Amino acid sequence: MDNKKSNDQIDVNKRDFFRKTAALSVTALAGTSLISSNARADDPAIMHHVPWGQKWGDPVTKNRYGIPSAYEHNVTRRNTKLLASGNYQASIAVTPIHESMGIITPNGLFFSRSHGGVAHVDPNEFRLMIHGLVEKSIVLTLDELKRYPSVTRTHFIECPANGGQEWRGPQFNSVQFAKGFMSCAEWTGVYIKTILEDLGLKPEAQWMLAEGSDNSEMGRTVPVDKVLDDAMIVWGQNGEALRPEQGYPVRLLLPGWEGNLCVKWLKRLEFATEPWYCKEETSKYTALKPSGKAIQHFYANEVNSTVTSPSPEIPWTDLKDGDIVEIEGLAWSGMGTITGVDLSFDGGDSYVEAKLKGLVLPKSWTRWSYMHTYKKGDVLLLTSRAMDDAGYIQPTIDQETKVMGVESVYHRNAVETWEVTATGEVNHVQIRS
Amino acid sequence: MFKLDRKLIISASVAATVAILSGCMPGSTEPKGESTVNGKATIDGGLVYPVVNDKQGPYYVNPQVAVEAKKIFNGRVPTDNEIAAWNKDVMADGTGLPEGEGTSEEGEALYEAQCVMCHGDFGSGGGGYPALSKGNAYELQKTLTNNRYKNATGDGPTRVFGSYWPKVSTLWWYIRDAMPHPMSKTLTTDETYALTAYILNINEIEIDGEVVDEEFVLNREAMLKIDMPNNNGFIPNIDGPTGLDDVRAFYANPENFGAQKVNPSERCMKDCKETTAKVTRIAGAGISEFLPPMATARDLPKKEGSNGGAKKQYEEACMMCHADTSMGAPALGDAAVWKTVTAKGIDKVYHNGINGINGMPPKGGSSLSDADFKSVVDYMINQSK
Repeated sequence: MDNKKSNDQIDVNKRDFFRKTAALSVTALAGTSLISSNARADDPAIMHHVPWGQKWGDPVTKNRYGIPSAYEHNVTRRNTKLLASGNYQASIAVTPIHESMGIITPNGLFFSRSHGGVAHVDPNEFRLMIHGLVEKSIVLTLDELKRYPSVTRTHFIECPANGGQEWRGPQFNSVQFAKGFMSCAEWTGVYIKTILEDLGLKPEAQWMLAEGSDNSEMGRTVPVDKVLDDAMIVWGQNGEALRPEQGYPVRLLLPGWEGNLCVKWLKRLEFATEPWYCKEETSKYTALKPSGKAIQHFYANEVNSTVTSPSPEIPWTDLKDGDIVEIEGLAWSGMGTITGVDLSFDGGDSYVEAKLKGLVLPKSWTRWSYMHTYKKGDVLLLTSRAMDDAGYIQPTIDQETKVMGVESVYHRNAVETWEVTATGEVNHVQIRS
Repeated sequence: MFKLDRKLIISASVAATVAILSGCMPGSTEPKGESTVNGKATIDGGLVYPVVNDKQGPYYVNPQVAVEAKKIFNGRVPTDNEIAAWNKDVMADGTGLPEGEGTSEEGEALYEAQCVMCHGDFGSGGGGYPALSKGNAYELQKTLTNNRYKNATGDGPTRVFGSYWPKVSTLWWYIRDAMPHPMSKTLTTDETYALTAYILNINEIEIDGEVVDEEFVLNREAMLKIDMPNNNGFIPNIDGPTGLDDVRAFYANPENFGAQKVNPSERCMKDCKETTAKVTRIAGAGISEFLPPMATARDLPKKEGSNGGAKKQYEEACMMCHADTSMGAPALGDAAVWKTVTAKGIDKVYHNGINGINGMPPKGGSSLSDADFKSVVDYMINQSK
């Protein structure tokens, strides 16, 4: 074809061309293979010049900070009014985990939860104060903080209400909303224990208050056990500065623990002998049991998993009988490292071992996979079940509700099930008594 | 042992190195997680990964850091005034709670002016913001055993300040530092006491056997006497010198928090389903009102209409109060009400909106520019003709 032809001409020629080649393919290729014997039109995406191939692209001076292709606009955080306290200043926007690849969530898709809106902190006015039961108090600017020796770790952060709308039955026909109150990133910061080496924690210190500078002055109490283990003050997220939604310039990161404990827009750490009773550690983020007693200071997100493909968002309606398809999902544990994932096709009656793939890291998302031959018309109940090296395994819904009842809101980690219908649609169901 | 492993890595074949680096055998070449620290159970029932031979789990660690950190002090010691300016938390024993006072009557006036538009009449809730009271706290505390696990169609537990929160210090602290939501940290100490008194009043909380009534003067001394109805409603115990040990003991037992432990070789692989378990489906349409609507197409976004920007800003910043009359604000689409609002001219409407009027905070608590705010006002007026 002539490269200088107008689009109109190309379209006219294209139509002729398709007619000819379609006819040709029938006569020339008939009998050579079952697949090519169909009288199929050639693909226009192949048969004509694409517009972006015939004109200048953007100069490198455009989008100095790159943005995704406009065609990816549906890959976005989403929210629902039912999870908003009034307006969207005390709310959550959740991650499209059906579109997630690997174990890293891009910063623009990392789930966003705040209690007084996303604060925009001027890094020049950022100060971090550490005081209370330490031999020496300290106040740090951002530059001074970042001069401490850094560590980089990959950890998920999960809102403990992930799946919490579904204690009494399935509600969201969506993996983004049923399991997307979480994300995973590579964080860079400093271990608090490194800073404390010189400050000197007094032996009577038992608890640390972490306080944010945002509108809600978000505060939580942290036991010193975690502070002296792997608690980090982080400023880096996937190789760049934290996003405002993640607490720019600095947030607390308690690997594996409730996202709410990982206080954003951090301004102050204080050590004391007694805990604080901050608003979010009793009024919310507590799990009410049938006895009427509620678990407080419920730290770690327990071992959990989900099938991400297929899912309500990614059905199998386009699969043909006999297609070989990869069933994929995520597993994670705030108590350790994923050691295995089992997959059931009958809603948790029998299981086969799925395969872990990629990096398997402590307190991180872990990818798992299982190759499946699709049989058209089969109805499946896909249930995944993960284990970790601390010895925990996901409970059934009945096992978990027997202890926790159905009013806990938080920390639900029972196995979850997708129903694949005879036509390949995928529905969220639960297997429970 | 670990030294040997590291030598092996260096001299291992390329294939083995790839296997190790890809981490597909967790624990095989890496320090294992441990369930105790200094002989005590971990605080959360999980594992810690100590540094062994310069590795922490799968991560390499620079051993110089642990040695040099003792000499690193990158900041400065804060002044006493600086610590005092930020160290304003209020603890359950009264640490940090300043002297001051206020009555429920004063609190009610503040509440009507600054709080009712979100928390509803008498703290009944509304617009998605939390209810502050549902009635007598001592009676409602008894509903905490109404677990719908036992009775699926019964009333559930009522968890509001009076019936659920263990400490009143939490309320006082949060009101002063985080309320009112669109302009926090603007209340005085006395105003905070007054609002706390009002919320105690609508929850019918007693102090020394006396219900907090309209004239009750709440001050520091009175507040420290309050024993909230659900003060003993939380586990594990976190108070006192045994607090941390109590937490460790609690999470050492999976049965306390609904977790399951299993020897991997003994986990159920066949005939696992409880005989009574069956497929439970989403009731009705479930929750499906997603913003933006769920879609996975890879197409170009639709261009917003001429009023798209204002409509979106209305939905984000204004709709919660202006969608209907429940918040006392002029409802979108109510032509009669908006005729009154605009009677004194559009400039007056802009002025009131930008500066706030009655229960409405400036610009409705939004951070819109004046120009954007005006276009939202125009949109709302146009929608209400």
